[in-house]
Amino acid sequence: MHKLGRGHRDKVQQFMAITGSSEKAAVQALKASDWHLEGAFDIFYSQPHIRTVTDSRHLEELYNRYKDPYVDMILVDGITLLCNDLQVDPQDIVMLVVSWHMKAATMCEFSRQEFIGGLQYLGIDTIEKFRDKLSYMRSELKDEQKFREIYNFAFGWAKEKGQKSLALDTAIGMWQLLFAERHWPLVDHWCQFLQVRHNKAISRDTWSQLLEFAKTVDLQLSNYDEEGAWPYLIDEFVEYLTENGIVQRPQN
Amino acid sequence: MSAQRKRNFKIEAFKHRVDLDPKYAEKTWKVLEHAIHEIYNHNASGLSFEELYRNAYNMVLHKHGEKLYSGLVTTMTWHLKEISQSIEAVQGDLFLEELNRKWGEHTKALQMIRDILMYMDRTFITSSRKTPVYELGLNLWRDNIIRSSKIQDRQLNTILELIHKERTGEVINRGLMRNITKMLMDLGSSVYQEDFEKPFLDVSASFYSGESQQFIECCNCGEYLKKAERRLNEEMERVSQYLDTKTEPKITCVVEKEMIANHMKQLVHMENSGLVNMLIDDRFEDLIRMYNLFQRVTEGLRLIRDLMTSHLRETGKQLVTDPERLKDPVDFVQRLLNEKDKYDKIIAAAFNNDKSFQNALNSSFEYFINLNSRSPEFISLYVNDKLHKNLKGVSEEDVEIVLDKVMMLFRYLQEKDIFEKYYKQHLAKRLLSGKIVSDDAERNLIVKLKTECGYQFTSKLEGMFTDMKTSQDTMQGFYASQGFEAGEGPTLVVQVLTTGSWPTQPSAACNLPAEILGVCDKFRAYYLGTHSGRRLTWQTNMGTADLKATFAKGQKHELNVSTYQMCILMLFNSVDRLSCKEIEQATAIPSQDLKRCLQSLACVLGKNVLRKVPMSKDIAEDDIFSINDKFMSKFFKIKIGTVTAQKESEPEKQETRQQVEEDRKPQIEAAIIRVMKARRVTGYNSIVMEVTKQLQPRFLPNPVMIKKRIESLIEREFLERDEDDRKLYRYLA
Repeated sequence: MHKLGRGHRDKVQQFMAITGSSEKAAVQALKASDWHLEGAFDIFYSQPHIRTVTDSRHLEELYNRYKDPYVDMILVDGITLLCNDLQVDPQDIVMLVVSWHMKAATMCEFSRQEFIGGLQYLGIDTIEKFRDKLSYMRSELKDEQKFREIYNFAFGWAKEKGQKSLALDTAIGMWQLLFAERHWPLVDHWCQFLQVRHNKAISRDTWSQLLEFAKTVDLQLSNYDEEGAWPYLIDEFVEYLTENGIVQRPQN
Repeated sequence: MSAQRKRNFKIEAFKHRVDLDPKYAEKTWKVLEHAIHEIYNHNASGLSFEELYRNAYNMVLHKHGEKLYSGLVTTMTWHLKEISQSIEAVQGDLFLEELNRKWGEHTKALQMIRDILMYMDRTFITSSRKTPVYELGLNLWRDNIIRSSKIQDRQLNTILELIHKERTGEVINRGLMRNITKMLMDLGSSVYQEDFEKPFLDVSASFYSGESQQFIECCNCGEYLKKAERRLNEEMERVSQYLDTKTEPKITCVVEKEMIANHMKQLVHMENSGLVNMLIDDRFEDLIRMYNLFQRVTEGLRLIRDLMTSHLRETGKQLVTDPERLKDPVDFVQRLLNEKDKYDKIIAAAFNNDKSFQNALNSSFEYFINLNSRSPEFISLYVNDKLHKNLKGVSEEDVEIVLDKVMMLFRYLQEKDIFEKYYKQHLAKRLLSGKIVSDDAERNLIVKLKTECGYQFTSKLEGMFTDMKTSQDTMQGFYASQGFEAGEGPTLVVQVLTTGSWPTQPSAACNLPAEILGVCDKFRAYYLGTHSGRRLTWQTNMGTADLKATFAKGQKHELNVSTYQMCILMLFNSVDRLSCKEIEQATAIPSQDLKRCLQSLACVLGKNVLRKVPMSKDIAEDDIFSINDKFMSKFFKIKIGTVTAQKESEPEKQETRQQVEEDRKPQIEAAIIRVMKARRVTGYNSIVMEVTKQLQPRFLPNPVMIKKRIESLIEREFLERDEDDRKLYRYLA
């Protein structure tokens, strides 16, 4: 340990605290990722044989603590309790990441399979371990690829069961939440535009294409291509922005 | 016997040299020189051709060709210099004549000399590659006369001056001119070009440049074109008379450039006399002339065509957007047809049926007809009008012509499906009101539409005709089955319409008067008895009734009214006075329709069988109605209430358009699916292009609509976006 520099030592400490791994494993992972914490986490967790073995008895206990008395599922009350235990706000976006890991079908509920399976995958079998993992999960939102997966997952998760589209209010709420993590300056205008002009549910295609739009088109819309096969709502949004002078598009 | 070896017979020259008298050559030359002099002095008659020929022959034979040749050159040159001086000395107008005369003499002399020296031409000259005698003579003439400093310029200026005189109207000696130009041509085409043609073209260019400037300031377009044409013809005639034919394209090019090309734009746009005025006034002669002249110039025709197009688009646009015109749909369409006729005639008569002009005409019409979204409706109303009243006494060919013209307008429509909707509505009304004058004409039109648009367009229309025919048969059967009861009570005529073939009209059934309920129910029973599994609904908003009415003073009239109106009038058989509200309650007629019926029964002069208190035009709930005892009309049969097709009101129009828009959605989707099935994976732009192409015979799809349909199909999982390239779509089987 004393061979490492100060910064590196700190990282090793952090890594060990979060993953609960040994110092050796920590150093190994960090070296392999060139001393980037997030990369090190990826490497660590993607190595199956390093995965921490979870105690299934503990998992059962955990599940039973939160499960609803009448139904074999964790419902709203259970989740509130879980968030309490985790010292996390139920509206916190990290819960979305948790749901993503669990491949939860709908928001505000976890099935037995989803809950236990998800925790196993994450190598969590106690609330303490769960709490420790939260900052890692938050960091996952910074990864482009993962953010996109989580974003697209959010659509199916947030919509009503049996519906094809996402209700506008829910969508707006989700967008506010998601784009707080990955800053997109036009998000407020977008939500306003939808309420004024559209006022209907959001289709999956529009949802997923919006992220592409936010990622690729610049704030002056100078590289927006009218022939670019964007969903019509986005075309209308561009019109809305130019009409209201929010953006001055270079006329060509 | 075999003669293998070729035997060459050689004729050897005499081996012994015959030595000539060294002075022989000189002597012989002197003879010839003398002869040449004599020839030039017009004394050739005293010479012996044979002798001279022999002398020349001998000289050449004895290898004195060089001496002979150079002697010839010297002698001729000397003579030519003399001639040159004599020509120069001539004053004034006789200059050209003298030149011409001397030329004639020279060529004659040259011929004689050539004949004499023919042996030299054939042998010595070919072997020593010198210029042959005749050509030599020409070249010497050229160098000593034509190109002599005193003659060259004077010759050119004289010629050009003469031409200028002729252009300004004087008569000149064309024969002389012809000879001179021929002389130049004989001297070689480069001589002709350098010494005459090129300067001629330059001078002509400035002449015409000046003249055209003059004309354009004082003439109107038509006059100018006449003058230009005249000048052009003049120049062509000039060439044929006394210039070389090769000059023709060059001089015409000059005239075209100076008189036409340089002033094209000004001419065409000339106020009060330019192209637009010619078109408006049908000035065929001027137009033909303009077409022919402008054809000669690059971009000339394009200029005419473009201006015609923009004028046509402008007039067309005014026609279709003028609010006055929109009040009478039939007149609107008639004007469009008139305009088309006018231009067809112009293009045929004046523009030589030029295809590019026809195309311009078509594109212009397509442009402005579609500027007015009611064009499809109006065209249908026009058809309705023609098939409705005016066919009585009109021959079959004329009908054919009218229908063909209508079809031609139809082709310009972008929204053919809107036309279809209105056409169906109007046809339904025509059929039901019994106003079909010519079954053949109707079917004729349907065949034309089918040819144009495919069978889907017309399949339902034919269903309507079938229903009418079937209904006739049904009626016959019905009355046959009723037998003796048929004589009593009202006579019922029923048309049974198959839902789906006929344009849907929402109809609330009203309360039919008791007098006819009986026979109505009998019919219903009869029909359902013979056709099981069907449902009949009376369409009370579409029928008519003939009522026999007796008024207070005994006046009898026969009233032809709509079903609604019948229901209203029958009420007054039992009651004297009714308020509007009471009528509404009794008949259950929808209030909008009720108001219209009451207005036509009470407020129209000559047809006011009802009296209304108060006497205003509007219908209010509490207005009281009663039979108008004082009703008078000179006609026995009176027609009140029509179901003929009218221009739709604004809300009706909106509704129709909305229906059409709704109908378009599945059509667009079907087209998208077809495209995707064929292509499997393709980009957004190509989908839009293909779909537009497929739907073109019906309507022009809005790209935004196509996009929305694509997204709907994505949601319903017929299509998906490609994972890697978000601009590509994939067909999901």
